[in-house]
Amino acid sequence: MKTLKRRENIKGWSISSVYLVYTAIFWGYPFVWLFILALSKWNFLTPRRFIWFNNFIKLFMDDDFWRVVINTFNFMLYFIPMVLILSMLFALALTKVKYFKTFFMLSFLVAYVSSGVAYSIIFSKLFAVNGPLNKLTYSLFGVTIPWFSQPQLAILSIAMMVTWKFIGYYGLILYSGLVAIPKALYEAAELDGATRWIKFWKITLPLLNPSLVMVLVLCISLTFGIFTEPFLITGGGPMKRTYTFQMMIYTNAFQKLNPGYASALAIVTALISFGCVILTRKLIEREVSYS
Amino acid sequence: MRKLGIILCLLLITILVFGKEIIFWTAPNPLQEKFWRPLVEEWNANNPDIQIKWSPIPASGSSEEAILTSIAAGNSPDICTNIFSGFAAQLIEADQLVPLDTLPGYAELIASRKMESVIEGWKFGGHDYVFPIYSNPMMFWWRKDLLEELGYTRAPRTYSEVYEISKKYSVKNEKYGALIVLGRNWWDRWFDFINYYYAASGGKSYIDVEKGRATFNDDAGKAVARFIDTMFRNDWTAVDLGNFPFYYGVVLGGIKGPWDLNWAKEQFPDIYHNIFIAPPPVPDDYPVDKPVHVFADTKGLVMFKSCKYKEEAWKFIKWVFSNIENDLKWMEYTNMPPARGDLTTNPVFTDYMEQNPHFKAIAEYVPFAIPPALTTVTVDIQDAMTQYLIEPIMYGKKSPEKALKETVSRIRRILF
Repeated sequence: MKTLKRRENIKGWSISSVYLVYTAIFWGYPFVWLFILALSKWNFLTPRRFIWFNNFIKLFMDDDFWRVVINTFNFMLYFIPMVLILSMLFALALTKVKYFKTFFMLSFLVAYVSSGVAYSIIFSKLFAVNGPLNKLTYSLFGVTIPWFSQPQLAILSIAMMVTWKFIGYYGLILYSGLVAIPKALYEAAELDGATRWIKFWKITLPLLNPSLVMVLVLCISLTFGIFTEPFLITGGGPMKRTYTFQMMIYTNAFQKLNPGYASALAIVTALISFGCVILTRKLIEREVSYS
Repeated sequence: MRKLGIILCLLLITILVFGKEIIFWTAPNPLQEKFWRPLVEEWNANNPDIQIKWSPIPASGSSEEAILTSIAAGNSPDICTNIFSGFAAQLIEADQLVPLDTLPGYAELIASRKMESVIEGWKFGGHDYVFPIYSNPMMFWWRKDLLEELGYTRAPRTYSEVYEISKKYSVKNEKYGALIVLGRNWWDRWFDFINYYYAASGGKSYIDVEKGRATFNDDAGKAVARFIDTMFRNDWTAVDLGNFPFYYGVVLGGIKGPWDLNWAKEQFPDIYHNIFIAPPPVPDDYPVDKPVHVFADTKGLVMFKSCKYKEEAWKFIKWVFSNIENDLKWMEYTNMPPARGDLTTNPVFTDYMEQNPHFKAIAEYVPFAIPPALTTVTVDIQDAMTQYLIEPIMYGKKSPEKALKETVSRIRRILF
């Protein structure tokens, strides 16, 4: 019995050892290195020296850091409602579609799989001062819209682009949540005389809670990880209003040659992001039962 | 056959036992690779005891990133090109570079290339750590055909002339006089504000590195800031102008580097033949007979202290740069002016200049092209210029004078 247990034990360890070694090299080592760097002053060239929590203290006194915090929440204010409503509409529409369902799903997913660099360039041309969108608004209404040059509009424009990219992906998550809701619940509600709105508010939305929470968590993580679009289109401007956490990390690490400060910022970014996720789950997540 | 085999074996043994290998990285650019490959092959064939292991800088976000990674990993190259002044300053401060002026025959090489004035802008602590390879004067390109339609037969020289043509040409949301601000990235300041400032101030540096302060809150800086402000307030310029605004006639002019010559010749041949290449516009009171200084987008070669065979590496560098034919080849391949002081006077280049008048117009400004300030905080300084000077002026949030004052004070804090 003991031999069998030991044999099973060895087998288990040998199977998982590949994963454990992989994790130790590609996750554990960088993770430890991140903390060492965050406590150090280094410029890649001269010897590294420990400065303990100075990077963190400097960070909280840095105007750019607070600007980025405000920008991130500002972006969320536009992005989350927009992407939630539109992907919900997409998911609801999919439940009604009888023919070519896969075609529609794939059409929206194309945006999700398209290269961030490529679509950023396309959008930047589309929203240019003299681009087709502005030409249209000028010919119709005699006005042009400063898509990327007015600070609030620049954030909104980027939020619109990112929303376009993620509608298909989030829509499919919500769609799978919608189809999981038992039809019998709707039939029972209809027998009780429930209107379409009541069914939506009292059945669909509460039972969709796990999918909605998942989409929300993905949205929050995405917001803290946004880089390509502002980097390529606005360069963080105007007036640093589209400067993001990732851009600040990249600039400090590789342009200002301050990887220690960038690491401290990466840790703080992760903590704020986890904080937001936990808070959202605490506020919104509900136990769901179909019975 | 047997004899040949023995000779080859002996050669191989000699290389293995006595051979010295020098790792050499160059810019990851096909045109520059085309230049370096045959040269290295020629050297290697003639110098079996000193072999150059050449490769383009490994793929990365930027050359700086790749070089830094290699230094951090302990496998930096021995010699490397594509080094810009700000990065050189960081490498020098970290004691990574060999002062080239301590190597034998340095002064002679500089003298033979008439580089005395070119090298001035690269001095750091009294030493020359970087050997400038090319110096691209950033010039203003104007649409000759469109200017002629407006009744002008030469490129505008002063701010007032730019205003005049802009007023005639601009149509709201369609056409603009010139592309004055290039973008919002920190490096764009080299090509707009700093370039205009060099032109307006007679080549004065915008940063006093020794005193650690910005110097551009003076008459020249104010004139430049007012110029940018006037262009934006009148809708004679804009940013985010979509695809190739110069080539599609959305703007009459804008600042460009010589690397655009080859590209324009291929993509827009009609427009290529219809260009005026001129220095950036200057304030109205700038003397006509005084040369206009421009910003030099210049990159150079460095030798790392970790290089085991410094003298041998230096021998290779001297071999490449003491042969003027190599400069001619460089011009032909890349269309970028080699960092030499005699480009327009040396007869070796005459034919090429005559056949390429646009290149000649650019090369004439090499002696007046000034590299950026040698500071380790280039990114921070130019970020501050974007945030506190260019953007507030672009969006009309601050007066040019107020924006200048604030920027200079912010830069003082960065340099403190």
